[in-house]
Parts: sequence; C-alpha cells; structure tokens
Amino acid sequence: MKKSYLLIFVALAVVFTTGVWFFTTGFAVSQLGVIQFGVIGLLIVFALFIVFSRFKSEWRGEPAEDELSKKIMMKASSVAYFISIYFWLGLMYYSDRVPDEPRHLIGMGIFGMAVILAVCWLVIRWRGIKNG
Amino acid sequence: MDNRIRELRARHNLTQDDLARTVGVRRETIVFLEKGKYNPSLKLAWDIAKVLGVTIEEVFIFEENLDQP
Repeated sequence: MKKSYLLIFVALAVVFTTGVWFFTTGFAVSQLGVIQFGVIGLLIVFALFIVFSRFKSEWRGEPAEDELSKKIMMKASSVAYFISIYFWLGLMYYSDRVPDEPRHLIGMGIFGMAVILAVCWLVIRWRGIKNG
Repeated sequence: MDNRIRELRARHNLTQDDLARTVGVRRETIVFLEKGKYNPSLKLAWDIAKVLGVTIEEVFIFEENLDQP
C-alpha cells in the first residue's frame, strides 16, 4: 500500500514540476518541448496504470504484488540497466559532435532511462517469464 | 512446461479469482500460468497442487528434452 502511495506522490510531483515548467515557458513550447511533454505524459499514464492495477488487486483481496510481478520488475530493471548503458554511450557520442548544454543531455539521459524501463516492463509483461 | 490448471480448476468449480486468492497471488499470475507464459516457483506450484487436490506432477507436466543424455 505504501508503495502505491509513493508512486502516486512521484507521479503528482512530476505533474507539478511539468506544470511549473510549462507556465514558466509562457505557453510558448518548441517542437522538442511538445515531444518532451508527450513523453512525460506517457510515463505518467504508465505510473497510473501500475498504481491502478495494484489498487485493483487489493480491492479483490489479492496481494498488490506477488512473485510474478516482482520477477517482471526485476527482469525489466536488469534489461533496462544494460540498454541504458548503451544509451548513455550514445548520448556521449552525440554530445561530442553536437554542442549542447550539459543539463539538456542529463535530462535526455534521465528521460531515456525512464522510457527504456517502461518499454522493457511492457515487453516482458507481454512475453511472460519462463525460467530456463 | 505444460500444465492442467484450467482443467483442474474447472473440475473444482473455481474461478481464476478464487484460485488466486486461495494461493495468495494476483489473478494475473493465474492467467499467465494457464497460458504457459510463466513457470511458477516450487512453493506456488505446491500451493496450487494442494488447493486442486492433486500432486505437483499431475498439475505441471514437465517435458524432458529427449536429446540430452
């Protein structure tokens, strides 16, 4: 239950900071900004989907997480970790050739890691887990 | 690994929800098991077999690889 509330808190914090960012731009969002807002929106939908499925299980009298959900998250995290390493390498390669502010690159890296984890989780959940 | 959970569950008039609650997992886990998309832990396999009133070997059919010695 605590984990579900923590997820809601994180999602709300992201919505709040995105809102602050949006208002400070004076509603003049660039094309890249629209893509970033879109990605943030998708990540929030992903977090809310997880929270909703956890609450649904609790309402049914089932545990919020069990051995399968833990294994899916564990495998998704490990696969996302390896992909993220190559993603950061790609970003370093990109930063050597295209001059950009370091904070933009770090932001892209964090964004990318969140997206990679979400995609890995969805793919592993769709494919299932078979030991061995 | 194949299994007979769906068949045995129907024989006991148990829904996926009932079985999930009884063995202490989410309904999604039972769905994954029945579709053959997840191989359970020994503890979960034991609990399912116990609820369905059969042995583990009767629920989960392990296909041995005949090519290996």
